[in-house]
Amino acid sequence: MRKHKAFPVTQFLLILVAVLLLLPIAATLILSFFSPEELKAYLATRNSFSGDRMMEIRLIPREFSLLQYYRILITDQTILRGFVNSALYAIAIIGGQILILPMLAYGLSCFRFRGRDIIAFSIVLLMVLPFQVTMVPNVLTLRTLNLLNSRWAVILPMLTAPFSAFLLRQYMLSIPGELIEAAQIDSAGPLHCYIRIVLPLSRPVIGTMIALSFAECWNLVEQPLVYLTLRPDLQPLSVTFGQLTSQIRGIEFAGAALFILPSLFVYMIFQDDIMEGVQIIGIK
Amino acid sequence: MYRTKKVWLFLFPGLLALMIFYFIPFVGGIRYSVLDGSFSNRFVGFENYRKLWSNSMFLLGLRNTFELSLICAPLLWLLSYLTASGLARIYPKGVFVRSSVLLPFLAPSSAVILVWQVFFDYGGPLNRLLTALGGERILWLNSGAMRLPIIIMFLWKNLGLCTVIFLSAIRSVPASYYEAAELDGIRPFRRTMNITLPMIMPSSYLVFILAWINAFRIFREVYFLSGSYPDLTVYTLQHYMNNVYGKLDYQLVTSAAYSFAVLVLLIFGILFLLQQRAANEING
Repeated sequence: MRKHKAFPVTQFLLILVAVLLLLPIAATLILSFFSPEELKAYLATRNSFSGDRMMEIRLIPREFSLLQYYRILITDQTILRGFVNSALYAIAIIGGQILILPMLAYGLSCFRFRGRDIIAFSIVLLMVLPFQVTMVPNVLTLRTLNLLNSRWAVILPMLTAPFSAFLLRQYMLSIPGELIEAAQIDSAGPLHCYIRIVLPLSRPVIGTMIALSFAECWNLVEQPLVYLTLRPDLQPLSVTFGQLTSQIRGIEFAGAALFILPSLFVYMIFQDDIMEGVQIIGIK
Repeated sequence: MYRTKKVWLFLFPGLLALMIFYFIPFVGGIRYSVLDGSFSNRFVGFENYRKLWSNSMFLLGLRNTFELSLICAPLLWLLSYLTASGLARIYPKGVFVRSSVLLPFLAPSSAVILVWQVFFDYGGPLNRLLTALGGERILWLNSGAMRLPIIIMFLWKNLGLCTVIFLSAIRSVPASYYEAAELDGIRPFRRTMNITLPMIMPSSYLVFILAWINAFRIFREVYFLSGSYPDLTVYTLQHYMNNVYGKLDYQLVTSAAYSFAVLVLLIFGILFLLQQRAANEING
């Protein structure tokens, strides 16, 4: 064991980093409790180029108000509709990935067969290709299958997240071979071994996969912009929110807070899994 | 290890999706990039590529994407390494910091952009700070200075994931190595250079690749701040792809994708070889 010394400077710097990272999110939450009129008036002071006029830095509302939330939840549901779209995409994509990817990784890690390494290598290649490249094959298939401008256009190509497949496989490769051999000796079939041994052991990395996929699904921008050009009604909130807030209506920050909220939940649930799941990245 | 044909049952759904949405259209799409796209669809060889590589907007987008990512990726790599080694130093303290670094990664860009708009406003907090320090105000959001906000937003969002990967890699270095170094009276800086960095080489290579792939995707923030035709200093390859795709010019879209793929694979391949070579030197 190394001795536990106190490192005041390190600690101070780290807390500074954490505060800077949390500040934008905290500011969003605070601004969501401004009354719509106050928020409108505040945001109207943006983009003023005359003389020395500056925006105030306001961290406390003049009066605490839930009116922004009331408006986005009850009276004006445009934000809510986008939210529902986003949730649909996230649930469909993550659900599909949970079904498909651990099975794929299991096949590529606990079996020996010809072509295994080629498949694994091509997944790594896919992983390092930027979106600008992989978008093109996706578009070509979606066009051929006539799926452009439907929800499937966003969901189907995302079912095979190469990075998640890679993570899962690395993790399963590290499962001790004896465990699987023991199952073989008990003449348990591969399906039994998958459900009883591999899946339960892979829980942390599956949690990591869910959290990473959620980050991706909750922030879909490029895909819906390209695949859903004709269907503004199917766009997720991650796209429409930017358009909705181009004219100030005094409800922006409650909308933003509502949009961030599920991220907080996902993070709280899967935090420990992520810490455990990424450990595997270092092991080659 | 199982050796049975049943493996294909596990691989089937994942491989099918990979085939349909990536591998088959990736190969099939090459056709588009060598035909002229007219009614007769003549074979034109590299004509489309020649047209692409003399298109000034493509070159601008490609250059900006590379420049931005070459600023962002090393910076992100360094900052996340520093944060992680700070965290490793004070471990097991630092729970608050550890649990807040990943939050920005999960928060959707379009929700947080509102706060950034206030922060970088001409009369906003950042310019306030600048004038307080005796500097000139800068037009962050509507000029060539826009690169700085984009870089800051990128670092803010991606610091957490890279830090977490680095942290688990650093913590997996056996403590006995450090004890031996301490007994030999080796200074902290040399300890970093001679123990930590070589030991975490595979992870740090992966972090760098991840940072770079993510930096290639810098687009969302630019899009939310200034739409499809932003200031020329932040016009990215994704802008070009979207705009060409909008005109349904499949010849240019596919040529651009393949050109970019070749470039990226070439770079990552060279980096991988360098990493292997360095690793061999250390081990033998």
